[in-house]
Amino acid sequence: MAQAALTIDGLSVDFAGFKAVNGVTMTVDDGELRVLLGANGAGKTTLMDLISGKTKSTDGRVYLHDTDITNWEEHKIARAGIGRKFQIPSVFKELTVRRNLEVASCRKPGVFANLRFGFGAEAERNVDEVLELIGLTEEQDRIAAYLSHGQTQWLELGLLITQNPKIILLDEPTAGMTQAETHKTSEIVNNLKGRHTIIVVEHDMAFVREIAERITVLHLGQVLAEGNVEQIENNPKVREAYLGSKGIS
Amino acid sequence: MPMKRRIDWAIYAAFVVLVMFLPLVMDAFWLNRVAKYLVFGMLGTAVALSWGYAGILNLGQGLFFGAGAYMLAMSLKLASTTSLQQGSDKPVPDFMLWNAEPGAPTELCCINKASFLWLPFQSQWFGVAMGLILPVVLATILGTIVFRKRISGVFVSIITLALVLLVRLVVIDSQPVTNGFNGLTDLGWFNIAGLEFDPYIVPTYYLVAVSLSLVLVGARLLIDTRAGLILQAVRDDQNRARYLGFDVPAYQTFFFAVSAAIAGFAGMLYVIVSEFASPTFMDLTFSITMVVWAAVGGRSSILGACIGAILINTISATVSETEGFAEAWKAIIGLIFVLVVLYLPRGLAGLAHDFIDRLLARKPAASPQPLRVSDASSQLAE
Amino acid sequence: MLEVLFIGLSLGSILLLVALGLAITYGAMGVINMAHGEMVMVGAYVTVLSGIWLGTNIFVAIPLAFIVTALLGLLIERVVVRRLYGRLLDTLLATWGIAILIQQAVRLEFGLTFLGIHIQGLGPGLQNVAVPPFLQGTFSILGADINRYRTFIILVTAFLALMTWFIIYRTAIGTQVRAIIRNPKMAAACGIDVTRVNALTFAFGSGLAGVAGVMMSGFKTVFPDMGTSMVVDGFLVVVMGGVGSLLGSVLSAGILGEINGLVAAATNDILARAVVFGVVIAIIVLKPKGLFALKGR
Repeated sequence: MAQAALTIDGLSVDFAGFKAVNGVTMTVDDGELRVLLGANGAGKTTLMDLISGKTKSTDGRVYLHDTDITNWEEHKIARAGIGRKFQIPSVFKELTVRRNLEVASCRKPGVFANLRFGFGAEAERNVDEVLELIGLTEEQDRIAAYLSHGQTQWLELGLLITQNPKIILLDEPTAGMTQAETHKTSEIVNNLKGRHTIIVVEHDMAFVREIAERITVLHLGQVLAEGNVEQIENNPKVREAYLGSKGIS
Repeated sequence: MPMKRRIDWAIYAAFVVLVMFLPLVMDAFWLNRVAKYLVFGMLGTAVALSWGYAGILNLGQGLFFGAGAYMLAMSLKLASTTSLQQGSDKPVPDFMLWNAEPGAPTELCCINKASFLWLPFQSQWFGVAMGLILPVVLATILGTIVFRKRISGVFVSIITLALVLLVRLVVIDSQPVTNGFNGLTDLGWFNIAGLEFDPYIVPTYYLVAVSLSLVLVGARLLIDTRAGLILQAVRDDQNRARYLGFDVPAYQTFFFAVSAAIAGFAGMLYVIVSEFASPTFMDLTFSITMVVWAAVGGRSSILGACIGAILINTISATVSETEGFAEAWKAIIGLIFVLVVLYLPRGLAGLAHDFIDRLLARKPAASPQPLRVSDASSQLAE
Repeated sequence: MLEVLFIGLSLGSILLLVALGLAITYGAMGVINMAHGEMVMVGAYVTVLSGIWLGTNIFVAIPLAFIVTALLGLLIERVVVRRLYGRLLDTLLATWGIAILIQQAVRLEFGLTFLGIHIQGLGPGLQNVAVPPFLQGTFSILGADINRYRTFIILVTAFLALMTWFIIYRTAIGTQVRAIIRNPKMAAACGIDVTRVNALTFAFGSGLAGVAGVMMSGFKTVFPDMGTSMVVDGFLVVVMGGVGSLLGSVLSAGILGEINGLVAAATNDILARAVVFGVVIAIIVLKPKGLFALKGR
C-alpha cells in the first residue's frame, strides 16, 4: 500500500454554531488524484481552507506525511508542501507571465535570503518547462492582467507547478472555462498525476471523468461516500443527496 | 527586456550627470534651493518605494522625515554658537535656558526633567546614527503590528496619518526638550573631519547630490532583487504570495522600513541645507504633498517620483518669484493633481515609458511585442 | 465635573457634525472625500457672506449653506469622483487636489484679486460671525454654567443625525443607498439607478458639511484653511465607528469627544488631541473594521 500523503482526522470547524465541516476523516495516498464532490454548501471549499490554513479548525488534525500541520500559518503550510489554487483565479496581475513564475520558483520564504539578483539558470529552465506545459510560452512577456480567463487559470496552475508542492489543492480549476479550455486543463492536470498528490474540487462532470481516480463525496460537512467513479455513480446515498437519479451525466 | 533596462539605467546616469553639473551654472543661492529640492526628490523616492512597489500608501511619511531631521538637529543645536558653553563638554541649548525653572542647574543633564536625553547628542555621529535608526525602528514596530494583523489599504494610510499627527502634537507639547512650535533653529554646521558644511557652499550641494544619487541607485537595485520582485507580487495579491509560502508581513515591513530610512536620511540632509527642524515637517499637508510629488512623477517609478518632486518645487520657486502668483500656483498644483489622478495614473514616468516602448516598437527585431500598460494600470491603480 | 462632561459632549457633537457627511460619502460610496473639510469651510463662508451682503443671521445661512455645498458636491461628483469609483485611495488623492482648489478659490476670491476686485468677506484674511444674542452667554443647570451656543450645536447635530438616520433607514431612497452600500453591482442589477443615487448621496453628504460649516462659524474664526484638520478628525470618527455604520459614527464621536474633554481638563488641549489620535490608532489596529462594523461583504 502506498504511503499516505495527507491524513485528515476528525476535522471540524464551528462557525458560531454552524459546523461547515464536521468530523471529516480521509486519507489521500502519495501520488493520488482525489476529487471532492458535493453540492453547494457541502463543505468542499471550507475543507480546502482548513487544510491550507486559511481557516482555523476547531477540532481534529491534519497531517502532511508525518508532520502535524493543523492550524499553522498559511505561508508555513505552503512551505511544508501544500500548494493551493483558488476558485477565483489569482495571479500577480501587474507582473509579466514569466515574472509570475519566477516569483513562484523562489524557494526561500524570507526577505533577507532574497536580497540577491536573478533566480539562477536552473530555475529559469524550470520556468521554461512550465511555460511549455501550461502553453503560455508565447505569452511569457505579457502582463498577466491581459490574459484571458482561461490563460489566467493556467498561469495560476503554472504558479503551483513551479512552486512544486507535494500536495496541490485545486478549487474548481475549470470554473468559467469553455469546453476546449476545460479539455486543455484536464491535460495539464493529467500531466501532473503521479508527480504530485492532487486534490480537486470540481462540479464539471465531464472534467471529473477525464481526470478522476478516486472520489470523496461530502454532504453537509461530512464524508458521505468514497470510491472510484463507478462506485460513486452507483451509490444510492450519493444519488439521493447529490447526483439525482440520472447518475453522473 | 534587457534593451529597456539599459535605457532605464541610461536615464538614471543622465539624471546623475545633470545633477552633478549644476554647480557650474548656478549661484550659491539657487544651489542651496536646488539642494533642498533634491532632498524632496529623495522623499519622492521614499514614497514611490512604499506606495508604488509595496502598495502601502503612507500618509505619514513626514514622521520619518521629521524623526531624521530632529535627531541630527539636536546634535547640530549643541554644536551651535547659540548654545551655552558651546564647544565645551557641557553645552546647553539656549531655549532650555529660557524655559528653565528658576534655580535649575544650567547643565544638560538636569536643567529639566528630560534634558538628559540630549546628552549623547553631543556627538554629531550619534545624531546621524539615530537619524537612521529611529525611523527604521519606528517603521519596523509599526509595520510588524500593522502587517501581521493584515491591515491594508486605506486603513494603513489612516493609521500612518493619525500617527504622524500624534507625534507632531507630542513634539509640540514637549516644549522643554523640543522647543515646541518653534522647533530647533540657529543650528551649527554639519562637520566631517573639519570640513564645515555651510549650506551655501558647493561641497554641501555635492553632499546632497551624491547622497541622492546613491539612494536612487540603491533603491533601484533593491527592487531589481528577488525580494523586490516578490514585494511587487505581494502588492498585486497578498494571498497568492502567502500561499506560495512567502512571509508577506516580513516583505511589507522590510520595505516600509527601507522607505522610512530614506525619509529619515532626507530629513537629516534637509537640516543640513536649511538649518532648522520644526514640527511643520510632521504637518498633514507636508506628508500629503510628498504623495502629490510622487503621483505626478510616477508612483511606481523610483526616479520618476524623485523628478516629480524636484520639478514641482523648482517650478513653484520660479513662479513664486512673480508677485502674487504663488497662491495661484497652489491652485494650479491642485488642478494638476486632479488631472494626474484622472488621466495619468502612472505619472510622468508612465508617459516616458510609453514613449520608450513606442520607440522600441519601431525596431521590430529589438524585442518581442511591447506592451501598452496604461489602461490596465488605471484599472489596477487601487 | 458636569461642565467637563458637557464640554466633551459639545466636542463630540462638533466631531459628529463633520463626520456625519463623511459617514455617508465614505460609508455609502467608498469615497474618501478630502475636500469635505473645504465643504465645511464653504458653509462657514456662506454664513459670513450672507451676513455681510444680505444682513441675515445663521438661521438663514443653514438652508443656504446646505444648498450651496450640496450643489458644489454634485458638481464634484459629476466631474471627478464618478470616474474613480472602486479606486478608494485615488479618490483620496483627487479630492485632496479639489480641496486645494477650493481653498485657493476662496483665498483668491475666485481669481478676482488679479483683476483688482475684492469681495468683502472673502480673501485670505480671518472672518468672524456674530451669533444672535439669545444664543450668546451661558445658562446654569445644577450649578454648572452651560454655554448656550454649544447647547445649540448639540441640538442641531442631534437633529441632523436623526434626519440622516430617517432618510437612510426609513425612506425609499435610503433603502437604495443601503443596497448600494451592501453590493453596488447587485443593486444596479435590481434596477437601482446607482449613478443617480450616488450623485444625490454625495450631494447630501456635502450639504451636511455645509451646515456643519454654519455651526462652526459661530464659535470659530473663519479662514480658507479651516477645513484641513477637520476632515482628518471626521475620518477618524468614521473609521473608528465602523465604515457604513451611522450609529458607530455617533458613538465614536461621543467617545472621542468625552476623551478629548476629560484629558484636556486634566492636562491641556494639545495632549488631549494626541490622546484622541492614540485611541483611534489603537482601535483601528485592534479592530480594523471599527467598533460597530457592518457585517457581510
